[in-house]
Amino acid sequence: MKAGNVLRIARWETTRSATSLDRETAIAFVVVAVALAAIVPAVVTTGPTPGEGIYRIGVDDDSPYADVAASDPQLAAVQPGSDADVTVSPVGIQYADTAKGRAALSTLRSATVAYNDAVMADEPDQAAAFPVVVSLTYRPQSIDVTSAQADTDGAGSSTTGGDGGRTDTPSTDDGATGTSPTAGASGGGLSGLLGQAQSGTPSSISPPFPLQSLVFAFAFLLPLNIVIQAYGSSVLAERIDRRGEPLLVAPVSRGDIVAGKTLPYFAGAIALVSVIAAATGAGVLAVLAVAPLAALFLAATFLGAMFARSYKELTFVTVAVSVALTTYAFVPAVFAEVNQIAAISPLTVVVDSITDSGVSTGQFVLSTAPPGLAAFVLFGLGTGVYREEDMFTQLPIPSKLLDALAAPLATPRRAGVWTALFLPFVLVAELFAVALLFVAPVSLSIPVLLGAIAVIEEVAKSIHVFAAFERGQYRRSFRTALAVGAASGVGFFVAEKALLVTQLVGLPGLDIGRAAFAPALRGASPGLLLVAPLVWHVVTAAISAVGAARSRLAYVGALAAAIGVHLAYNIAVVVIALG
Amino acid sequence: MISVQRLEKRYGGVTAVDGVSFDVGAGEVFGLVGPNGAGKTSTLKMLCGLVEPSAGDITVNGFDAGDTAMRRTLGFLPEESPLYDEMTPRSYLRFFADLYDVDRATANERIEAALDRLDLDARDRPVGDFSKGMTRKVAIARSLVNDPDVLVYDEPASGLDPLTTNTVIEFTRELAADGKTIVFSAHDLHHVESVCDRVAIMRDGQFAATGTLADIRDEHGEVSYRVFTDVDVDDARPSNGRYVTTVDSMADVDAIRAAAADAGGGVVDIRTDESTLEDVFLDVTGA
Repeated sequence: MKAGNVLRIARWETTRSATSLDRETAIAFVVVAVALAAIVPAVVTTGPTPGEGIYRIGVDDDSPYADVAASDPQLAAVQPGSDADVTVSPVGIQYADTAKGRAALSTLRSATVAYNDAVMADEPDQAAAFPVVVSLTYRPQSIDVTSAQADTDGAGSSTTGGDGGRTDTPSTDDGATGTSPTAGASGGGLSGLLGQAQSGTPSSISPPFPLQSLVFAFAFLLPLNIVIQAYGSSVLAERIDRRGEPLLVAPVSRGDIVAGKTLPYFAGAIALVSVIAAATGAGVLAVLAVAPLAALFLAATFLGAMFARSYKELTFVTVAVSVALTTYAFVPAVFAEVNQIAAISPLTVVVDSITDSGVSTGQFVLSTAPPGLAAFVLFGLGTGVYREEDMFTQLPIPSKLLDALAAPLATPRRAGVWTALFLPFVLVAELFAVALLFVAPVSLSIPVLLGAIAVIEEVAKSIHVFAAFERGQYRRSFRTALAVGAASGVGFFVAEKALLVTQLVGLPGLDIGRAAFAPALRGASPGLLLVAPLVWHVVTAAISAVGAARSRLAYVGALAAAIGVHLAYNIAVVVIALG
Repeated sequence: MISVQRLEKRYGGVTAVDGVSFDVGAGEVFGLVGPNGAGKTSTLKMLCGLVEPSAGDITVNGFDAGDTAMRRTLGFLPEESPLYDEMTPRSYLRFFADLYDVDRATANERIEAALDRLDLDARDRPVGDFSKGMTRKVAIARSLVNDPDVLVYDEPASGLDPLTTNTVIEFTRELAADGKTIVFSAHDLHHVESVCDRVAIMRDGQFAATGTLADIRDEHGEVSYRVFTDVDVDDARPSNGRYVTTVDSMADVDAIRAAAADAGGGVVDIRTDESTLEDVFLDVTGA
């Protein structure tokens, strides 16, 4: 690849894209950019209040709670008797026994504490206002915060039954000083593989979601989703009617063309992200964290655009890329500052950068290396089929995918190399599964996760081998199948040691993280535990390869068998890991 | 200038080009003709390095096909010529000149010269608004921005109206006169006949016939003679007061001459009927 050629193509791609933008679209882009630039700083300056007035507090105007309700933007004071979530009356506080009622009560309590603190802070005699000084030191704990029970009431409160609601009798002198739902929780821990419910979920946190993080996450993802639309169209335009054929005859390499076409969109995405980072007060680290994610958005779109046969199919591709990668980045980021599961997402680095929470090297590597490496491999696969014989054919997407997978496998050894190169996808997929299943009860999440991991890893070890047999790259013989399967198994075994990166942020400290990554980590142990994963990977990869060498149907059956063996192994290891 | 040895191309189980060999000298115009699916386009694309051969060797200007140095000396015109619709001819051609490392001043000079010769005036309008003929002219100009020694043109006049076709064929002839080495494929045999020095007729991925047009006619065409006599001889039929006999060799003509003399007359006219290129093409390709 030559930098001069890449820059030339990038310059002309920029010119061409700018020329193709009609006036209306350009105006729309400017309006969106201006709106984004205006809204995000405003959100940061004033604090996001998407929940403004969501809790209705029934309170008389002369009640001291009226001032409390007025002090918190999430509370709206209404007259008692109307449809309030919480009603303050001389006999106590009534609230609906619903999730919203409990959340309203919790917010009222927090607001009361904050209100009282503010009033006391204004007292001229601070010693009288605060006769006792309590220093609180919060220490991180490896266990999760347990789910708050609805009847975890404040100190000094009593609970009486009622029709459709509960009645708290608050201590009126200091407001609702009950225990916050997030405080004082006792670590539950897991009693076994199929034990009690997973803890630390958003519903147990007050406020339920870190809303600021959500807004920031969306702000950083939005440009990526817009940029891939233009990028995908540009790549597909090269393939429609063989428009890109003359470029393939020019004295530039395929890599030059792909890099040159991609560079303007990557630079555009980074420029937009930088503007948002500047507006939100995020530092360079945030931009660096989003860069691999931007590359992954573009790489997935590039490969999809190389497979799509029409703009209609490209729409499906870009929507799928948007949904999958937005979910991958967004879901873990929801747990920023709450749980180490958030370290999976580059957006957590962004949030931590904005809130000055500090980002460890391990967290940065875990959140950026998998999408960065996955982007690299996807671009590699796409560039492999960026040639006349592949890019202008109108084959179905699965057929093109097989072509792309089979193309690099000239020798059995290459199967092992490519299995190793697939590891970023394996890591991304497994982290994605962990993030999605994190909020589910352990009794459901761990079995599903183990099954998902078995499927992901066995497919990663065998799909390209199957493609190579289908495309005639390998001779269909038992001996070849064993050789290729062994190479693939060894490749995976070597590469999976990269999963050790999850230890850098303590992900295996989570039960679900331990379930996902314990088998790989156990493989790092000496002796038998080092050899066992190697044998297991080789055996399962060989099973799939033998099936792939016979026929498509035989491959499906062999893959199912390999997944079964893998699942059995994983369950055995996880039972040991979780004790 | 161009050397192709035992060239093969297989797509899965289909053999598109099967052991083709040929040489093209500097300044020569070499034509490929054949029915659809004969392997012409695959051969041309392998020549440009656009498609990798399954077997065989190609050298162009001393470089292997596909080599970057080779690409700098070659201009390619594919069968279809969609351009970037939003670009103007000038910007499109400057883009390609830039890729070939042609400096701006030289590029502008070449672009204007090529568009002048091709009689294309709309140089600052988006090519998306162009007719097929105008688009074709821009594509031909693109093949010249690097001032290549070798031109590979695949069906340059395909689908064009007669006027534009004539312009394109004339222009190709001018390029040949300028000393460019041209490999040219066409369905229309008149184009081949009017432009090419040598021709190869392809069938099922192989060369069914190759050589100059005269050679091919001699080898594969048929020649017959109509001999007119003023007296009746064997097998003759009356024709406007004379007698005509159709034979296919000069020996037979001599025999008729002798027979007419024996009958007290003589041969008054001899007319030669040769196969057209179409006749040869249909015969060779088995169409």
